Amino acid sequence: MKHFLTDLYRSKAGLVGAVLIMVIVLVSLLAPVLDLPDPTRGDLRARLVGPTWTGLFTPGAHPLGTDEVGRDILSRLINGSRITLLVATTAVVLGGIVGTILGILAGYKGGLVDRILMRLVDIQLAVPLMLLALLVVAALGPSLRNVVLVLALTSWIRYARIIRAQVLSLREREFVQSAHAIGASTLRIMFLHILPNVLTPALVVGTLELARVIIMDSALSFLGLGVQPPTPSWGRMLADGRVYISSAWWAVTFPGLAIVLTVLSVNLFGDWLRDYFDPKTRSAK
Amino acid sequence: MIPAPLLDVQNLMRSFGGGKSLLGRPRPVINAINDVSFQVAAGETLGLVGESGSGKSTVGRAVLQLDPADSGSVRFAGTELTILGPQQMKPFRRRMQMIFQDPYSALNPRMKVGRFVAEPLVVHGVAGGSALTDRVADLFRLVGLDPSFMTRYPHEFSGGQRQRINIARAIALEPAFIVADEPITALDVSIQAQIINLFQDLQDQMGLAYLFIAHDLSMVRYLCQRVAVMLRGRIVEIAPTENIFSDPQHPYTRSLLAAIPVPDPDRKRPDRPPFAVSENIPPREAGMIEVSPGHFVLEHKK
Ligand SMILES: Nc1ncnc2c1ncn2[C@@H]1O[C@H](COP(=O)(O)OP(=O)(O)OP(=O)(O)O)[C@@H](O)[C@H]1O
Ligand SMILES: [Mg+2]
Repeated sequence: MKHFLTDLYRSKAGLVGAVLIMVIVLVSLLAPVLDLPDPTRGDLRARLVGPTWTGLFTPGAHPLGTDEVGRDILSRLINGSRITLLVATTAVVLGGIVGTILGILAGYKGGLVDRILMRLVDIQLAVPLMLLALLVVAALGPSLRNVVLVLALTSWIRYARIIRAQVLSLREREFVQSAHAIGASTLRIMFLHILPNVLTPALVVGTLELARVIIMDSALSFLGLGVQPPTPSWGRMLADGRVYISSAWWAVTFPGLAIVLTVLSVNLFGDWLRDYFDPKTRSAK
Repeated sequence: MIPAPLLDVQNLMRSFGGGKSLLGRPRPVINAINDVSFQVAAGETLGLVGESGSGKSTVGRAVLQLDPADSGSVRFAGTELTILGPQQMKPFRRRMQMIFQDPYSALNPRMKVGRFVAEPLVVHGVAGGSALTDRVADLFRLVGLDPSFMTRYPHEFSGGQRQRINIARAIALEPAFIVADEPITALDVSIQAQIINLFQDLQDQMGLAYLFIAHDLSMVRYLCQRVAVMLRGRIVEIAPTENIFSDPQHPYTRSLLAAIPVPDPDRKRPDRPPFAVSENIPPREAGMIEVSPGHFVLEHKK
């Protein structure tokens, strides 16, 4: 753990990413005690009020301005981050676990298991993800749990395909043959020899996916299929603010910035994490 | 009466390819090994020599049932292995092991080498806890490595050290037979002799039998009691080592002998007798002839 921190400290980009993530997570966790205005209550006399820097210190003012029904944007951003982060991380972890296991199974077992799984992936790839998401949410109804499930469903195939390709080359490696030669069970080979060697690619996919899923979650909300109003969500804010982009830039810019900043910090941290878990680059430092 | 050999391989066949490609074109069939038969006695070293692609590794993998043959028989200590399921095969995995050609890809890059060497002992439930650590430390010492290396990852080691780690893993279960697939080819010349000595020491201490695979005859002379020469998936000559060197019969064996590097740089190497593989593909129906006791050669054009 000490090594983890010193190594992180030495990497500038990783450190920036980690600090940003910590700030985002901390702020979203602390939302209830920050004494923010109610993110769901509008004030029709204060519609589309512009941001004021002094607003940070004046009670009742709106530092980042208000939206078209007079709701405080800062409060909605912070409260929305809770939902977005929860939804995106759960979906990516869920999709990652399922996709990695199925990818290993398909790549290592080959044969019928492989063919069935890869057909499934092909079929799913042929259907636009957004359409799939729309269909599933429409069928199951938009709820927090269903949004997570849908996002995980669009995510697992990306892990599965990349992990499978890795496994195909790994299983020809001599250490896997050597595991056979000592009589190791298939399960042992898959989890002790293959899995640790695909964690790095899984992590890389995970970072890319986290970014993609945050955007897709926003897109679902944008289309009105994410978490339902009045619960704040970044995508929803983007959708609502878009109409006023020429007259009230803040209504769409701040949620957009929040998405970009989160995705960026996740990527920076993910890059460093990948290097850290690669024994080769670790000792090179 | 001659005692039954430890390993008895008969008429082993393995081909790759065949069938049709995605576009419907027939894929060529490669007979990687074709009618290969040989025996290895307990404590003996049999050399298996041939150029790249002649099927040596395929023989090694087929013997250990890692990539089973299409047909033929592999008997180990009197038991037919080709008909065993994975569970029935497991006890035999304790008694026969393999050391791989490429020491770099033979180690799991994500597993500490101590754990890697310990794995066979864990899989077979031989040792656990501190007894396991002690045993692994012993194995490290046995192959000439400092036991403190146990907690390191493979990338911290040189090729020679890696091969020692592979050897430690292979001998962990005290096998009777080891397939060593070109174990020194990938190593620096200066390291090769050390590893060869290690093989010999281990054989003296543990009574190991080896199938020692090599692509030329230079090292084989010091290590092997008998040598089998392979060409295009077939054994073309098999004989005690002295016979191979003093009285080679097959033209391919002769060309391999002529290719051995001469240690003295002033002495010019004799020209390699011309040997065109394509004209010397062993005819399918050719049989082995015994030219002297224990010295067999495949029928060939003179
Ligand atoms: N898994 C496989 N799929 C298809 N062809 C294979 C496979 N394994 C081996 N072959 C083919 O079988 C033949 C023999 O290969 P093998 O690896 O046994 O040769 P080798 O004598 O060990 O060569 P080297 O000295 O290069 O290791 C080669 O023509 C090779 O291309
Ligand atoms: Mg080989």
